[in-house]
Amino acid sequence: MDATAITAVNGPGERPQKPARRVPTFVYSIGLLILIVLCLQAGNQNFLSAYNLLTILDFSVILLLVGLGQMCAILVGGNDLSVGGNISFTSVVFVMLIGRIGVLAYPACLVMGVAVGVINGVLLTRVRIPSFIATLGTGGILASLAMVFAPVPVNIPTNQWKYLSVITEKTFGVSNTLLLGLGILLLYQFFYRYTVTGKRIYFTGNNINMAWMSGIDVAAARIIAFAICGLSAAAAGIMISAEQYGSNPYLGEPYILNSIAVVVVGGTALTGGTGGVVNTLIGALIMGVLKNGMNVVGIDQYFQQSILGVMIIICAVLTFDRTKTTVIK
Amino acid sequence: MDGAAGPTRLQSSMKRIARTGVLGQIVALSLVALAFAIGTGGRFLQWTNIQVMLNIAGVPAILALGLHQVIVLGAIDLSAEGVMAFVIVFVGMLAKNTLNSNDVGLWILPIAVAIGAVSGLCNGLVVTRLKLPSFITTLGMSWILYGLAVYINKAAGIPLTDARIPDFLAGNTAGLPNIFLIALALTILVQILQKKTRLGTYIFAIGGDEHLAGQTGIGIRRTKTTVFIIAGALYGLAAVFLASKLGRAHPRSGLGNLFPTITAVAVGGVSLTGGIGSAVNALLGACIITALNDGLILMRIDPYIQQAVNGIVLIAAVALTIDRKKLGFIK
Amino acid sequence: MSDTTLIPTPVLRLSGITKVYPGVVALEGVDLAIYPNEVVGLIGENGAGKSTLMKVLVGYVQPDSGRLETAKDGPVFLSGPASAIEHGIGMVFQEGALIPNLSVLDNLFLCHEKTFERFGFLSHRTMRRIAREQIRLAQIDVDVDSLVQDLSLANRQMVEVARLLWLSSIYGHPNPVLILDEPTAILSDTEVDTLFAILRSIKHRASVVLISHRLSEVVENSDRIVILKDGRNVAEMPAGSAKISEIEQLMVGHEVSADRYLEEHQHEPQEVEVLRVEELRVEGQFEPLDFSLRKGEIVGLIGLIGSGKEAVRDCLTGIRRADGGHIFLEGLKVSPANPHQSIRLGIGHVPIERRSQGLATGMSVQDNINLLVLKSLRRGGLLTRRAGRRNAQRWVERCRIKTPSLDVLSGTLSGGNQQKVVIAKWIGANTRFLILDHPTRGVDVGAKEEIYHLIRDLSLEGIGMLIMCDTLEEDIGLSHRILLMKEGRLIKEMAAAPNAKPTPSDIIKFIV
Repeated sequence: MDATAITAVNGPGERPQKPARRVPTFVYSIGLLILIVLCLQAGNQNFLSAYNLLTILDFSVILLLVGLGQMCAILVGGNDLSVGGNISFTSVVFVMLIGRIGVLAYPACLVMGVAVGVINGVLLTRVRIPSFIATLGTGGILASLAMVFAPVPVNIPTNQWKYLSVITEKTFGVSNTLLLGLGILLLYQFFYRYTVTGKRIYFTGNNINMAWMSGIDVAAARIIAFAICGLSAAAAGIMISAEQYGSNPYLGEPYILNSIAVVVVGGTALTGGTGGVVNTLIGALIMGVLKNGMNVVGIDQYFQQSILGVMIIICAVLTFDRTKTTVIK
Repeated sequence: MDGAAGPTRLQSSMKRIARTGVLGQIVALSLVALAFAIGTGGRFLQWTNIQVMLNIAGVPAILALGLHQVIVLGAIDLSAEGVMAFVIVFVGMLAKNTLNSNDVGLWILPIAVAIGAVSGLCNGLVVTRLKLPSFITTLGMSWILYGLAVYINKAAGIPLTDARIPDFLAGNTAGLPNIFLIALALTILVQILQKKTRLGTYIFAIGGDEHLAGQTGIGIRRTKTTVFIIAGALYGLAAVFLASKLGRAHPRSGLGNLFPTITAVAVGGVSLTGGIGSAVNALLGACIITALNDGLILMRIDPYIQQAVNGIVLIAAVALTIDRKKLGFIK
Repeated sequence: MSDTTLIPTPVLRLSGITKVYPGVVALEGVDLAIYPNEVVGLIGENGAGKSTLMKVLVGYVQPDSGRLETAKDGPVFLSGPASAIEHGIGMVFQEGALIPNLSVLDNLFLCHEKTFERFGFLSHRTMRRIAREQIRLAQIDVDVDSLVQDLSLANRQMVEVARLLWLSSIYGHPNPVLILDEPTAILSDTEVDTLFAILRSIKHRASVVLISHRLSEVVENSDRIVILKDGRNVAEMPAGSAKISEIEQLMVGHEVSADRYLEEHQHEPQEVEVLRVEELRVEGQFEPLDFSLRKGEIVGLIGLIGSGKEAVRDCLTGIRRADGGHIFLEGLKVSPANPHQSIRLGIGHVPIERRSQGLATGMSVQDNINLLVLKSLRRGGLLTRRAGRRNAQRWVERCRIKTPSLDVLSGTLSGGNQQKVVIAKWIGANTRFLILDHPTRGVDVGAKEEIYHLIRDLSLEGIGMLIMCDTLEEDIGLSHRILLMKEGRLIKEMAAAPNAKPTPSDIIKFIV
């Protein structure tokens, strides 16, 4: 028995929230995708050709990879702005390592990616720095390290191309990048559907207070989320280097915004705890279609960036869960 | 702790000065100066070098002045680079240049400030009306503006031929670089705004506790939007100065400034959690960062390593100034 | 016409104020008049409607019917604290409404600095002079330039009072009404004396509504006492002639059917002890105390603000570390350092804030129910849909949770069903000792009964429970035994066997 302090304006009786959207958000995203495709097809007849579609898919794989990683960070309510630096750094180091340790370059770079993610997670949970500042910092450090290692673009000499075959070849007529992308997508879906840690990440993002009081190690969940993001970004960096047979230290920069766009446009809210793999897949497809389509239709490359910015703001406004915070910062 | 009854005038004044919280920054600056003085065998402290540093510090200081108030509010502004690119493109088109016959002369200064202010207004409106967090708003806005900028001028650098502004900026008055004096004057202006006007009080109130501030009847939306407008205006001014110094208007010139500006603001003592930090802090922070980078250059450290150092300094500064009790679970 | 000099016009009058929330009538036809230069003590237990009445008084909440009138402006509509003070009504909240990083000066005049502006700039010299004057008038001793965060809690309260007084004066209210919500809860004894001395001195320029549960304090320092019960103004009396025991009787005692809390289902708990607490203490919150709980026993922990019972709860749930003493669970000494450890030991906690602490409202009913047992639902290391569904379905049936499906978001369920989801989550996790904090808060009457059924069933199954309820009646009705805490001490233990339950009046005289 105690006197209640004035907190909620609504008094002792509660009103339950409005019925959940029966339609999951990704349906809207699919709708958006179809709409965009139709518009682009109207703009250029060749858009829906098989060749073009394959090009889109190939391009989207990288976006998907980074997007899935960013999704992990966003699911726990944070952001990872270090993916750009991570990709640049990893791709440069991969090129260098391929020449020295051959196939071992793959695991080495992936481990580095995980390490970056863990550092981000620790900065967030132990040193208690907001994720966007922490990752801004680590991203900047990684970008500059990339420039230290590769002040000029670097190439992979032809005698090492054999190490890249796992990415550059085709299997059963489908390019390996596509297959790898599919595989990683399935891994992600598997992780979030069927593992305890995946579920806990959702809970942490949905209501971190409750998750903590229910005994979930929220620090571990968040570190794992950022570690996965770092791993994904590193994988993307490796893939880019392999596809381009070389790298330069500015490679990763556009992916900072692109990855956030993929996640948000696909319908995952920045507030965390909702959305998921399917959303991000569709978001990647939308982004891939947009990018390719805008080129095909002839929209200026630079203007595309502006369109991207507008889309992000619109989609973020639509998905942001305002019941979670009364004060918007 | 509650203060004696009827404190003397002197005690009150001392307390007010101590409260501006620049002691730490002055100590830091002295330490940096000392370290590099030793490291460079005294070259660091030569008057010509100090003049160079003050000159270089001008643009970052103005950027920091714009950004820090947003942070005091408790928000963040990531749009500096985009705003600068956008403004610079207009500078390239309207100021005396080699590409077309426009020449607005010195009017380019208010024009640049106005364009920047409008950009800030857009940020403010999206944050306050659409209720989107400032982080994603300003990030998106930055890319919109940057894309527009590069689209308009096709990523070309336009040489500027009006020498009046660059000459003035490069010159000295009473031994101090003019651009620094301008930054200093602006700092004083903003400081007066913060301490002596209602707007200033409201900015600190919102940063301290936005919910309570709203309850007293403070116009939160109006204050926030105004702060974003001021920030944009200052970014615009910094842009025109930057273009003038470089002698050309290239939208890429502004890139790479966001990161050091945030670092400068954090190092200057402005807390990310809001409610703490004034214009003087922003200026000092910019000076410290400039001194740090200048010293690293003098000691011939790889420029790319410098960026890494900046990153570490940013994280450290934020870690030290953040108010953890306020944030609860950090996102 | 009566002689108006004998009956002064009230400064503020509420007539027929009614406020209804889903499932509960918070206020019913409340009439209240506040006269000039008086201190009114407002008394009532929790659930009586004090907090709702306060919210109406400052405009946080609009009454469903009834009228608010001031002497100066007649009937008024208050849209919030800012508009309330414009009409001469101000409130000092428990949590404080001052901005901590601003100075006393800034806070005093916040949002009303226009009067000090010259050409757009604030004249700090004038502001300082007026501030010092106001501080002096309110009889406080602070430096107007000091930051609020550096002040003691007592002084912060008084600065708020000073602000309200100043605001009332500039809005032209010679006799504002100041409402103080439990002002002494956080004060030391000397500070309490100072506070009441100051209140007595400002009486000549204001009326005060004093809300406090400390009856003797209220009676000593008020002119008039108003007692709220069940949302109604049940009694008013001059403080001089008030007797504490009489007040206590008027505060409690609701019409309640004997079977409301299913007392017939209250069976003897088992002999085996499930929880024992020895010499447990937390500095500044509660002194060393001991108690124990048997399997299947329901123990009610009762106490008012400042009793320390929340801190006891926090020690058991692992949210807070005790400064001394031991906790034994089924005979084993435990010291949970965080909720994770508590839960592993088998201690469950149905928290007071359902939406922010109990549920993930954006996740499905199934996910919420399964949260604690995810590990055990794995087949071959993986979560299968079937196992999760089966478990959730089982508990939905067991707890009679009404939900359209297992996949709807838990936030869409009614309050009562949400609470059942939270309880299901815990009992599905092999909890041996469950803490229920206000288990029926915000739950409609029908669902309340179902929750009582659940609690009785849990008791039968041997789960020991510590409950902290909204009302004394609920605590008494549900419990086997009651522990009373007051000001950091466990002062009494009472049995509450069915057909031999203590009455609320038996209890209240100990805890106030």
